[in-house]
Amino acid sequence: MKMNLSKEWLIRRAALDEKQDISAGTINLNKLRAISPATQAKAVHASTETENSNPAFGILINLWRRKKGLRIDELAEKARVDVAELFEIERNLHYIPEPRTVFQLAKTFDLPQEKMLELSGNLTVRDSSLGQEAVRFAARSESVEKLSKDEQRALEEFVKFLSEK
Amino acid sequence: MSSTSVVYLKDHNAGKFIEANLIDGLTREDVEKAEADWTPFLDEQVKRMEETGVPRRQWPQHRHWNWRDKYDATEEYLAYRMFGIECQSQIQGLMLVLTAGKNSKIPSQKGKPLAYVHFLAAAPWNLASIVAEPRFSLVGSILVATAIHLSMEEEFQGRIGLHSLPQSDDWYRKTCGMTDLGPDQTVQNLRYFEMTPEQASGFLR
Repeated sequence: MKMNLSKEWLIRRAALDEKQDISAGTINLNKLRAISPATQAKAVHASTETENSNPAFGILINLWRRKKGLRIDELAEKARVDVAELFEIERNLHYIPEPRTVFQLAKTFDLPQEKMLELSGNLTVRDSSLGQEAVRFAARSESVEKLSKDEQRALEEFVKFLSEK
Repeated sequence: MSSTSVVYLKDHNAGKFIEANLIDGLTREDVEKAEADWTPFLDEQVKRMEETGVPRRQWPQHRHWNWRDKYDATEEYLAYRMFGIECQSQIQGLMLVLTAGKNSKIPSQKGKPLAYVHFLAAAPWNLASIVAEPRFSLVGSILVATAIHLSMEEEFQGRIGLHSLPQSDDWYRKTCGMTDLGPDQTVQNLRYFEMTPEQASGFLR
């Protein structure tokens, strides 16, 4: 591609561009699925859905955060993720977060990254048993300020399931 | 296959224009090199912002972007073209453009094909939201000019579209003269901008 930009154009545009931010593009990758090479081998395909049909990811994050006694902004700081995205994850249970956010949260909570990617709607895995287990988990959880005993139990059982090889 | 053409950036330290390469068709190595240069700089600046109490809304909004993921997700598709501007052995800006399946939403152009700028970013040291004195200017204008040229090459007459990050809305609206079609609820409420063939000619003049 040949770019014929005159000297006058460069001078004029340089003055206009000074101290300007020029970023364009979606904040997350919902419209452009991308997964790490490590997960590609096991994946049937990266999801092309724009909504996560499984609400368990948002519920898991919500319960785990509360179990740790963290506010949303505190978790955002700890995991180095955007607080707005974290709000969205917990508020909109069908939201598909950016893969990096999923990785960061998995790392923070010491949960397996691939299963978290699958749970978050970023990845579809053949013959996965995660879906049914996640639905059972989601059905037992309610959004309340303090974890009920049943929520606590559901969370522990589900985390145990996630951590199984 | 990758090709390069000569462009010019304004070097603020030297106070003059210097030669740079516009690369059409970056390799994975180019993108990895860019990430390796950009990420530590960006992390350091975000840490500084965190420590000095800069509100999060003022932090660079694309700090989570991973260009390697974007490259891996699109490299097999002919409809995606990735461009970079290289200067002083570093990538100064990156852009990913989609040349199929997107049509204009402006009433006078409705339904006509356009080149959609999927992602566009300058290196963090060129961003006014991060550093007090950005190193180079013209990165944004040259990338937008590139998208227009690509649109012309595809016979889209210079029509381009993009979703701007909030910190850049004014630049696309006022400095580039694009039409602001308002917040797009399907894309995180980001404002959608388009350039008509007439606006594209005006931008390049």
